[in-house]
Amino acid sequence: MAKKILIVDDDPNIVTYLEDFFSDNGYETCSASDGSEAMIVLKKEKPDLITLDLEMPEEWGPRFYRKLMKEEEFRKTPVIVITGLTGGKYAIHKAVASITKPFDRDKLLKIVKDTIG
Amino acid sequence: MFKRILFATTASPSCDNAARVAFDMAKRYGSELIVFHVLGIPSRGFSRFVTDVRTGEIVTFDDDYLGWVKEEMKNTYAIQLDMHQKSRIEALPGVPHTEILRAARKRDVDLIIMGSTTREEDDGTYTYRSATGSTLQDVTKAARCPVLIIGRPVASVWGGFSNIVFGTDFSRSADSAFLFAYKVAKTFGCTLHLFHAYDISAIHSGKIMEQDEIEDNMIEAREKIRKMYIPRLKGFDNYEIEIWEGIPYVEIVKFARENYADLIVMAHHTRKPSSEKTLLGSTVEQVVLRATCPVASVNRPDKIKDI
Repeated sequence: MAKKILIVDDDPNIVTYLEDFFSDNGYETCSASDGSEAMIVLKKEKPDLITLDLEMPEEWGPRFYRKLMKEEEFRKTPVIVITGLTGGKYAIHKAVASITKPFDRDKLLKIVKDTIG
Repeated sequence: MFKRILFATTASPSCDNAARVAFDMAKRYGSELIVFHVLGIPSRGFSRFVTDVRTGEIVTFDDDYLGWVKEEMKNTYAIQLDMHQKSRIEALPGVPHTEILRAARKRDVDLIIMGSTTREEDDGTYTYRSATGSTLQDVTKAARCPVLIIGRPVASVWGGFSNIVFGTDFSRSADSAFLFAYKVAKTFGCTLHLFHAYDISAIHSGKIMEQDEIEDNMIEAREKIRKMYIPRLKGFDNYEIEIWEGIPYVEIVKFARENYADLIVMAHHTRKPSSEKTLLGSTVEQVVLRATCPVASVNRPDKIKDI
């Protein structure tokens, strides 16, 4: 069964781009436009990996991550931070990787493959 | 709670992170935001010249130049200003910290937001030491309201408060900080972490401390928090008490990071309560520079009582 990736980003262009990119590489995807929506999608879809933006209109990335860590079922779900902010790599220390926009998609794919296969 | 916020800025990239917090807070909490810039004069006396913050050059001050600076500020924060209607730009010449304090007093602001320093990162010199800027130092020691400081870029990415760390050493001046932390926690429904770091740095200079002694002191500190602060929470029960041993600033930064704190509240200086003579305490200064979230320095009870 294809592994599922949850894409959390408030920029619809990034979401569409990542959805297409991951689907082309054999992954299933689902998406959310901010932290609170992501929490709902997370519980419904049970993804194998999450890509997370930091700055979003309502619930920001780090706060979503904090809630994620409190969920016994999902706390081990790997997270890749994809952000336009400088210093973003320090926001979520336990993330699998932290990537700054604009990013190299091959590099991202390698991280995803190394993490969930 | 934050009806009016003063965001003191150079409108240069060094203030971008503080700007992110200032605009987000204002929008989130419906605050009026004053985006405030002081055109620094080169001396303390009257001057027709000001220092251009971007080039560092001394330029003649006149209405044209002021208009141009305001225009530049508008351009810098164009998107944010557009998104938050209750914000306005103000600029005037003077000594930065004096004018920031004056503006905060005159406009009765509840909070001042600033970056920690405009200086570049490690310049490679032998004497380099991380330190906060002099304007911040002067503002924090005399401000009647809490000063929210954004030290690192990562400190700006939280978006609202829901997890507050109050760092205390049980001094009298920590009381105002406690009151502020409690009021923010209560107003916004946050978890309040009452945190004390037991200082064991004397070990490095040869003082022998048995583990029993350290842990006895930690138990005692916990008891002290229970006695000093809990009764004043008046039934507010969303709190946790935590005592760690180590070098205080390291422990506070670690604790905040591990708990994904989005605000640290500390007293400006603990030795001399409400003093306008002391600089930012060494512990809070290091926390400001190292924390992964904004740090509020509180020196006086004045504004907090009104909140």
